[in-house]
Amino acid sequence: MTDQTTAAMSRAEKDRVRGTAESTAPVILSVRDVSVEYKTQYGWMKAVNNATMDIRRGEAIALIGESGSGKSTLGFALLRMLVRAARVSTGEAIFTDREGKSYDLFKMSDKEFREFRWAKCAMTFQAAQNVLNPVMRISNTFYETAAAHGWTDKNAVKAKTLDLFRKVQLDPNRVFDAYPFELSGGMRQRVSIALSLLLDPELLILDEPTTALDIITQRAIIDVVKSLREQLDFTMIFVSHDLSLAAELADRVATMYAGEIVEYGPVRDVFYRPEHPYTVGLLNAVPPIVGEEFTPLVAIPGATPNLLNIPSGCPFHPRCPWATEICSTVNPGLRDIGGTHIVACHNSDKVTRDQEVWEGMEATSAAG
Amino acid sequence: MLQDSIVRSEANATDRGEPIIRLDHIRRDFDTRGGHITAVDDVSFDLFPGDILCLVGESGSGKTTVARMAAGMLKPTRGHVFFEGKDIYEMNKEEFGNYRRAVQIVHQDPYASLNPIHTIGDMLRAPLLKHKICKSRAEATKRAGELLEMVDCRPVENFIDKYPHQLSGGQRQRISIARAMTLNPRVIIADESVSMVDVSIRVSLLNTMLKLRNELGVTFLFITHDLAVVKYFAWEGNIGVMYVGKVIEYGRTPGIIGRGFHPYTRALAAAIPEADPDLTRSKEKLQLRSLDIPKLTELPDGCVFHPRCPYWIQGLCDTTKPPLMRMPDGRLVACHAVQQAVERGDDPRDLAVTDQLANQIMRE
Repeated sequence: MTDQTTAAMSRAEKDRVRGTAESTAPVILSVRDVSVEYKTQYGWMKAVNNATMDIRRGEAIALIGESGSGKSTLGFALLRMLVRAARVSTGEAIFTDREGKSYDLFKMSDKEFREFRWAKCAMTFQAAQNVLNPVMRISNTFYETAAAHGWTDKNAVKAKTLDLFRKVQLDPNRVFDAYPFELSGGMRQRVSIALSLLLDPELLILDEPTTALDIITQRAIIDVVKSLREQLDFTMIFVSHDLSLAAELADRVATMYAGEIVEYGPVRDVFYRPEHPYTVGLLNAVPPIVGEEFTPLVAIPGATPNLLNIPSGCPFHPRCPWATEICSTVNPGLRDIGGTHIVACHNSDKVTRDQEVWEGMEATSAAG
Repeated sequence: MLQDSIVRSEANATDRGEPIIRLDHIRRDFDTRGGHITAVDDVSFDLFPGDILCLVGESGSGKTTVARMAAGMLKPTRGHVFFEGKDIYEMNKEEFGNYRRAVQIVHQDPYASLNPIHTIGDMLRAPLLKHKICKSRAEATKRAGELLEMVDCRPVENFIDKYPHQLSGGQRQRISIARAMTLNPRVIIADESVSMVDVSIRVSLLNTMLKLRNELGVTFLFITHDLAVVKYFAWEGNIGVMYVGKVIEYGRTPGIIGRGFHPYTRALAAAIPEADPDLTRSKEKLQLRSLDIPKLTELPDGCVFHPRCPYWIQGLCDTTKPPLMRMPDGRLVACHAVQQAVERGDDPRDLAVTDQLANQIMRE
């Protein structure tokens, strides 16, 4: 199928194939073997290890993992916003814009990248209150951001901002001239999402968009993001430790563990037919809220590894009930198991949701 | 008084003896820069030996303030806290000491609650020696080892001489639990104790706490905002749902989580995404009239939830505070609309949306 036929597809058809093996949307971001290291007093610590993934235009990708999995580091690396003590040690990330122009994210000059960032690819951060300058009115933050990209027509910026505020369900008149402290956490998070969309970016990265917000506020953010995706045309990567957020918002899910992407596939495949033991372990640890039935939960034994001392072979093998000899020596690497579902596991064909497999392990291993 | 009689009659009906902790109409006011606030208003409940009671609610609901009053860390402005039948503020020094030893707290942040300059062994030995539970250092060390085993920190040698920074967040939280267990408490008050711990570790931490309850009969007052955690941990216990200082629904866990009656309980359960793509995308949603929790300095008249409630009854909910009333299935609910539905013999979840129009505006 050519790009023209893709464009001619009906909205419903697009929604149906989005994030599945049938999708023919062009790749907007191609991440190849990206590794990121932090300098520590004990040497270089690998926070992201050979991350490889293709992200198709219009899709929502969830990067799921626990603390120390490298999910946020990968997000920051793509926008070149790593702290000074970090470096991208290997790999490349190629962004292709609407017009088909390619950008090599790690090779662009700083000046080129400043123009690229926010205009093509923007980000919202976990602590929204820390993003907004406390002594600056919200309006000035928007004017300043626009001006930094050469957009100096204040009336046009204001019109665009007010429109975005309505889209994120903020009262435009109340918020525009407010200071950040006058707004609640959920409102600031929505302001921050509006700010990231000011220049119509093609790719939006959201770092833990609902963490540290109250439940009902979280729901509001989720609904806002959903409706924005229906109204605007952007691709989304969101980083979260919350599997349910991925289930709700993502077309595709990537699970990260100890700096590696260990599974990546269409959301229903990953949730209903997980092939990586770690994904299975995470799913076994969260209960459904609805229903009056008790859901037994199973813990993953052990603890996440110290990134300075990642286990040999498959990093998950010491905690894995399916581990065999080869797992402790050979890193399985990502392998396509069909249907654009990829997984890094030697024994993925044996992996099941059967909880009993884990039970013997919990008793014998040191607790996390 | 209504609430009082209801809670008491339940206690008598089940004949479970004397509660370890009884909160009797406790209220707590604070003077803040923004004005006078009532963080907790008229909360009563009984904790019996081996109970698990979870208080859930969003930030500002007063759940932590209740916990602090139950722990004797904060004095109620009004009302009483009873420990084994005795008002803790009328106790003599010895009695108060016994109470404080019997009720221990596990805090939220395992990075802040352990002293970085002490080893795990020091931390566990100190209270054992100070309270003369162990006579010698050697005996205390032995007991510390047993405590570490109890919280699944095995092998003990890998923990006892370590400093907190050498342990992971989940391990530190286990140490906090072990430390709370040093004085053989009867009650543990866990304030958001697993919310800073990763998902994969959380379940095993909850299992450890359940083991303390099942094997040693420890009573738990568990404070959290996470309904998933509550559902697992308090399955055999009770839940109190709090909203701006008040308990608005109270009862057995399965019914409250799976089939809440109070519109706020239902809104919470409906708002949470599920870790199942088809389930979460087809889940019943409950649209509130407003997203914002009212300011504690400017609480609305009548039911504090009415400005957000899609089912509010004009002329009633905005004027009269709903009392906690017993439902046919035994739970307590403070809601006029639910009460009326029950009196009509209707399903308490089948409520009429008050103003469709306002609802639609919100949705746009």
